Amino acid sequence: MVKTVTFSVFRYDPEKDTRPYYKDYRVELRRPGMMVLDGLNQIRWEQDGTLAFRRSCREGVCGSDGLNINGVNMLACITHIEELKEPIVVQPLPSMPVIKDLVVDFTDFYAKYYLVKPYLITKTPPPSDRERLQSPEDRKKLDGLYECILCACCSTSCPSFWADPNYLGPAALLKAWRFIADTRDEGADERLEIINDRDGAWRCHTILNCVEACPKQLNPTEAIAELKKAIIHRKF
Amino acid sequence: MKKVVFQPKVRYKLHPGYLAWILHRATGILLGVYLFLHIWVIHHLSQGEEAFNEVMAVVQSPLFHLLEIGLLATVVYHGLNGLRVVFIDYGNLAKRDMMRKVVYAVLAVSAILVVAGAVPMFRLAFGL
Repeated sequence: MVKTVTFSVFRYDPEKDTRPYYKDYRVELRRPGMMVLDGLNQIRWEQDGTLAFRRSCREGVCGSDGLNINGVNMLACITHIEELKEPIVVQPLPSMPVIKDLVVDFTDFYAKYYLVKPYLITKTPPPSDRERLQSPEDRKKLDGLYECILCACCSTSCPSFWADPNYLGPAALLKAWRFIADTRDEGADERLEIINDRDGAWRCHTILNCVEACPKQLNPTEAIAELKKAIIHRKF
Repeated sequence: MKKVVFQPKVRYKLHPGYLAWILHRATGILLGVYLFLHIWVIHHLSQGEEAFNEVMAVVQSPLFHLLEIGLLATVVYHGLNGLRVVFIDYGNLAKRDMMRKVVYAVLAVSAILVVAGAVPMFRLAFGL
């Protein structure tokens, strides 16, 4: 007999429901190593076609299926069902407006991301005969910063982000440090100007939920600490 | 009209860092309240020796000695965790392999200091 597990899934259709509710589904573990996303696919394909959730690459690269699973933000596609306690409670990312079921609105998240100018800013022209080169050592400084997939697991795990609608959040701040730490970049001043704000780096209270949540094992708290140090070094 | 949207508030798992922050907030509020109480007691000095002795007699009672153990716990935890927070920002305690251990260390050292301090306070409270 195939083993089954219970998924308790957050459901909310703003056009039909006055308030969200949780619906239980039984998911069959048909092969070893099934991920939460496999379970959600099974529900949608075989039991309830109305369940809405985002997914794309199903291997932790695209960052589409960031969800709150058993109280922790993670990617459904790289979370083993068998490692979770039953019932597996699947909720949308906290504090984001729900569009339907597990699909949330990322508008605010992206707006904050663009605020920190997440692109290379240069003032000096590039060498005429080749691209802007970087030494392997300088390139190594970006390890642990550039891998962010913008799944929003970190920002939506942060109590400061929940409480302060204007806080830039760990994802945007990590990206800001990724460019400030880049030896080819010359936009540190304009970025730090934006980040040196009560809704910027200083809103981080080092709760470390972002580090616990990041599915790529990055460290936004450390990046924010670097930003705080950079702001202070610039002033004195 | 702005469309009303539902924003889920979930009961998030209490990771060590999250718990440490909640305790830091709670002890911070308690310290703020204590500060006002402390000033209120001390301000009796301006009303003469008798008034001051009277209020001091109240706060020397066994109940207050027991409450002082709570005060010690509040101060010790808030102080030690405050150092942890400073060193996350300006040291390297935000490292993935360090961050949980430091929270446990703060809790452990706080517990030892509070137990050590509680012994004489208990003795005072019960006149041993």
